[in-house]
Amino acid sequence: MRVFLSLTGLYLKSFYNLPGKASKGTKFDPKAALKALGIGLLIVLVVGQMGFLFGASNLATYEALAPLGLQGIVLLNVAVIATILTLAIGFLTALSTYFMNDMELQFLAMPIKPRQLFAAKFAAIYVSEAAISVFFVATALVIFGVKEAPHPLFYVWGLLAALLLPLPALAVSYLIQIPLMGFARFLKNKQAILIIGGVIGLVLAVGFNIYYQSILGRLQDPAWIAAHMAGPEALLTKLGQAYPPAYLTWRALSSPAGWDAALSLLGLAAVCLAGPALAILGLSGRYAKSLVGFNESHIKKLGAGADAFLRARLVRRPAFLSLVARELRMMNREPMYMLNGPFTIVIGPLIIGIMLVVQRDAFLNDPDMAGVLAMLRGGAGAVVAALSGVFLGSATSITCTSLSRDAKALPYLKSLPISAGRYMLAKLVHGLVFAALGSAMGVGLVAYAVRLSFIDGAAALGASLAMSALLNLGGLWLDTANPRLRWDNPIAAMKQNPNAVIAIFGAMGLAGGGGYLAFATGMGTGAFALWFGLVPAAAFVALLLPYPRYAARRLAAMEI
Amino acid sequence: MIELSGISKTYAKSAVKAVDGLSVTVKDGEIFGFLGPNGAGKTTTIKALTGVLKADEGAVRIDGLDLAADPIAAKRRIGYVTDNPELFARLRAAEYLNFVADVYGVGDAERRERTARYASLFGIKDALAASIGSFSHGMKQKLLVTASLLHDPSNWILDEPMVGLDPKSAFNLKELMRERAAAGKTVFFSTHVMEVAEKLCDRLAIINRGKIVFMGTLAELKAQRGADGSLEKLFLELVDDGEGAQA
Repeated sequence: MRVFLSLTGLYLKSFYNLPGKASKGTKFDPKAALKALGIGLLIVLVVGQMGFLFGASNLATYEALAPLGLQGIVLLNVAVIATILTLAIGFLTALSTYFMNDMELQFLAMPIKPRQLFAAKFAAIYVSEAAISVFFVATALVIFGVKEAPHPLFYVWGLLAALLLPLPALAVSYLIQIPLMGFARFLKNKQAILIIGGVIGLVLAVGFNIYYQSILGRLQDPAWIAAHMAGPEALLTKLGQAYPPAYLTWRALSSPAGWDAALSLLGLAAVCLAGPALAILGLSGRYAKSLVGFNESHIKKLGAGADAFLRARLVRRPAFLSLVARELRMMNREPMYMLNGPFTIVIGPLIIGIMLVVQRDAFLNDPDMAGVLAMLRGGAGAVVAALSGVFLGSATSITCTSLSRDAKALPYLKSLPISAGRYMLAKLVHGLVFAALGSAMGVGLVAYAVRLSFIDGAAALGASLAMSALLNLGGLWLDTANPRLRWDNPIAAMKQNPNAVIAIFGAMGLAGGGGYLAFATGMGTGAFALWFGLVPAAAFVALLLPYPRYAARRLAAMEI
Repeated sequence: MIELSGISKTYAKSAVKAVDGLSVTVKDGEIFGFLGPNGAGKTTTIKALTGVLKADEGAVRIDGLDLAADPIAAKRRIGYVTDNPELFARLRAAEYLNFVADVYGVGDAERRERTARYASLFGIKDALAASIGSFSHGMKQKLLVTASLLHDPSNWILDEPMVGLDPKSAFNLKELMRERAAAGKTVFFSTHVMEVAEKLCDRLAIINRGKIVFMGTLAELKAQRGADGSLEKLFLELVDDGEGAQA
């Protein structure tokens, strides 16, 4: 048991990047406190948004069904959706953490039983699954509780059900993945897993978005909800009745005070615990075996073609171009960096594009939107287009994590005969390439949606380029001033880098504040070009000129 | 030629000097070994020597050029093999070599000829199209050595270069060090392997707790200690003396 608990603790620390226990006499670190505060705010924001989404859909379903006396079906749907949600997220989490790093191969050489190893990993992943499930179920419990004032045991059974529902979903994920890893050799590679997981995640996100956008306009229609989402003939209801854990949850919550509820919950516990028990008892050995040979590399030999290869590939280029090419390759070949960086300018428009395609006609033909459309086509459209371009052009986190991502190679790079200014400016050029692409995507999307004139579109693009360039340079200053130089996992340099969070919030603040001022003052085209184009461009130049000297000073002072 | 004069370095998060008033001169055509226990200050010295770390005091001159005053010109005269070959895992080996050659301004013909020569010598020519991330530790080390020689530097600085190398590659590396010294170039390397230092070095320095405790030839060390033991034995005695003095 001690081995299991110790391993679980280790996995939890690794998965969630938890800080170690502070030693006695540790001084208060204002930087760490500020970081904790920032992360706390981000969590509140994300949880708030998700809570709003879950709460709104549960409330709409309840209000549609209550007049028909079918509100109890909300509870059945909640159990089904909690299962689907945890199955989707659990499958991806289990896949991405299947093999963490070589540390796990060392576990195989230790006197650790395969069951302890697999159970510890299962438990560590279950923690986030349980949190998601509890959060989702809690929003439904609160709405149902306020509206129906059920017996207090309703909340107890609800909480227990939320904790139990992810277990079979996670067990199913491993029941699929463990045999798959046994025979699909190409899967035993972290990069392949990241790409496959990314594609599955993307398909799920896009699928959810299409589904969500398509029902968004119909949530006010009780008859439609009753027929398609929660009526006795709806798919969710049928799934709930066919899936024992959902059915047992529904029975326990429908009449929580009786013995029937307690028995249903006992049945739910038995069914849900059987999943992980079967997986751990039956698959632990195969799991441990499947870790062997993970990340094995096979080097393709050039053979007789080596000299021809050298002649073709070893060609002189200006050093600065070589520096920029290195930046592009190092970022876009690391899936973790690419998916969380440059890929955002693809996924952002994709999600918004789906919304536009699904709702464009409804939006353009809605009589209530006529005034908004007239405003957008009368000059405000250029502001909105520019701001969406700014958001995408500065959302890649390229510059604000650029030095942090290079931390491992920094000692070597500092020994090369290149000035710190040139080295860092290559990073800026990398950021600006994607800022231009993001600007074009963001402006183009809005221009298409509201049918902007060519002049307004061009003005919006110019402004977006100027502001994106400024924000990217701001991000570079930020990461030069405060880079994250010590990390074990690329996630820490990119996704968990406070600079990325500050830069995104900064861009959102600037875009939001700028947009508010533009609307509040009824800015004309001339004023718009000045404040959103020329002023950021001037600020960019003003910040760029002293940057190389600052970068040289900072890099020289870095003790790595 | 490499000249370190009165180099001192204290890290921001430490109260102890990692390197304390260190002065070393390595002449052209000399192989200089830099020895010391873990944490003695070897890597800090090499980092100061290659411009990776800024020393608090003292000066570094490479072929007479002041590293602080003219870092780019001074660094052009250095070929550096770091102790950490975990570099640029996402680049292909040929891309990495091309990058290094571009940074040092090496012409097309020279970069091809030197890549072919050193990559063949270390048995990695066949693997140059592969990603560095797929290389073993030893292959990465060989790639670093190849890259460090692309611009034919007059000063070759190697930090623990034998780690991870197979016996044949280690032998080839030692031969290359001798060859370069014979051509009038400077070789400065740190090592824990006493046999390598004993057989290869013209002169050596032993560093302990940031200070040089001995500098000279092996014969001078033996004469000074009044003993006829191996370098390993003399090294251990010197380091133990240092520890005793501290205690």
